[in-house]
Amino acid sequence: MAINWFRQILFFFVLVMLQVWIFNRIYILGVATPLFYIYFILKLPVNLNRNLTLILSFLMGFFIDMFDYTLGFHMLACSVAGFIRYSIFRLFLPKEMIEFNIPSIRDFGIGLFFKYVISIVLIHHAVFFVVESLSLFDHLRLLYSILGSSVVTLVLIFAAEGLTLSKSRK
Amino acid sequence: MRNLINLIVKNIHWLLFILLLFVSGYLIISNNNFQRSKYLTVEQELVGSVYSVSNRITSYVGLKSANDQLIRRLAELEVRNEYLENYIKDLSDPSEFSSIQEDFDTLSPRLVYARVINNSISGSENLITLNKGSNDGIEPDMGVFSPEGVVGIIMSASPHFSVVVPILNSKSNLSCKVRRSNYPGSLKWDGEDSQYAYLEELPRHVIYALGDTIVTSGFSSVFPEGIRVGTVVDSKKQRDDNYVSLKLKLFTNFSALSDVLVVKKTLQEEREGLEDEARDRILKGERYDGN
Repeated sequence: MAINWFRQILFFFVLVMLQVWIFNRIYILGVATPLFYIYFILKLPVNLNRNLTLILSFLMGFFIDMFDYTLGFHMLACSVAGFIRYSIFRLFLPKEMIEFNIPSIRDFGIGLFFKYVISIVLIHHAVFFVVESLSLFDHLRLLYSILGSSVVTLVLIFAAEGLTLSKSRK
Repeated sequence: MRNLINLIVKNIHWLLFILLLFVSGYLIISNNNFQRSKYLTVEQELVGSVYSVSNRITSYVGLKSANDQLIRRLAELEVRNEYLENYIKDLSDPSEFSSIQEDFDTLSPRLVYARVINNSISGSENLITLNKGSNDGIEPDMGVFSPEGVVGIIMSASPHFSVVVPILNSKSNLSCKVRRSNYPGSLKWDGEDSQYAYLEELPRHVIYALGDTIVTSGFSSVFPEGIRVGTVVDSKKQRDDNYVSLKLKLFTNFSALSDVLVVKKTLQEEREGLEDEARDRILKGERYDGN
């Protein structure tokens, strides 16, 4: 099945706008900000060319950076996430599953999908908050930010995933 | 040779990854406020227009509290007005009268009213976007304050938008003083709580008490003297014991900022600023020998 480019582009910009207009303004307990846009990188087709995955991830980071006035931070985190994705597939995914098109709970099963999502989200958030906090360093706060934001992002991703799951069952 | 090319083609994603890391790393490192303001005014126009769409929707939500604030401020000003009018009536000396009149007349046409369309308080490098820009006479290095207190300094301005470095930014540095004793210090933020900032580099013998009001010093031409900043809630000695630092509770509520005023510069101040800058550059050793 070829990738539906129009849908992907629409998905991309919807996520950028959601992040810019809603999620960037959420700031729970002074530490946790969800970085929900990573959902785009998670939902890229499994067998998509590695270079293309990298460039799309980088572009996502670029757009978020542009609106956040944080030139470079999201780009760096996204490039790492886009690069690491393939290794995560190799690590968790059985060989015969590589042909699955778009990662989802339905195709992967909840355990596998959870492992996949949590590892990418944790790596992405860790890179982002470590780089961001370089100018004002405080270990404990950094740890809270990474864990808190990861939890919020995970909850949002599984909520979105659950939504599509219940829709496709009907 | 063919093997080498094959190897490179096979591992091209590594090269791409490293390239992308370099690009973003370079952007992060070279990304100081100065360069951004210089090159990204085009981007700022685009980003600003996207934010103003969302602001058109969200500004309704904050309307009620903004209204309350305005009413409170109006009441405050009415009281003050009455006091001043009585004061003027009491004064028999006509020269005193004219000096008050002059102060009011010179300040009020220098104020530009603007609305906050994007505001962050979460990072250490917070910035605020306003819906007015150079078309309304806003230029870099102008002071910004809200009805509650000081907000920050304009970093850059495009025709319709401008970006403010608020005092909640680790790079911000503002000269303030204790209103009661007139001792100056510099206002810094530690990146933690958006309600508190620190007044640093005060000499040890400075006279203050908890609850004292801190105001802008007026030493630079950015802010007029006496705009409210915050109240003292705590103090501690700085490392070498010769200085104290005061913890302030800021008057401005940055998490619900919506309307601000920008202070335009007078021609006199503009000239002085230009002269200072030129002097600095000469002192730094820049040469102008025509080559």
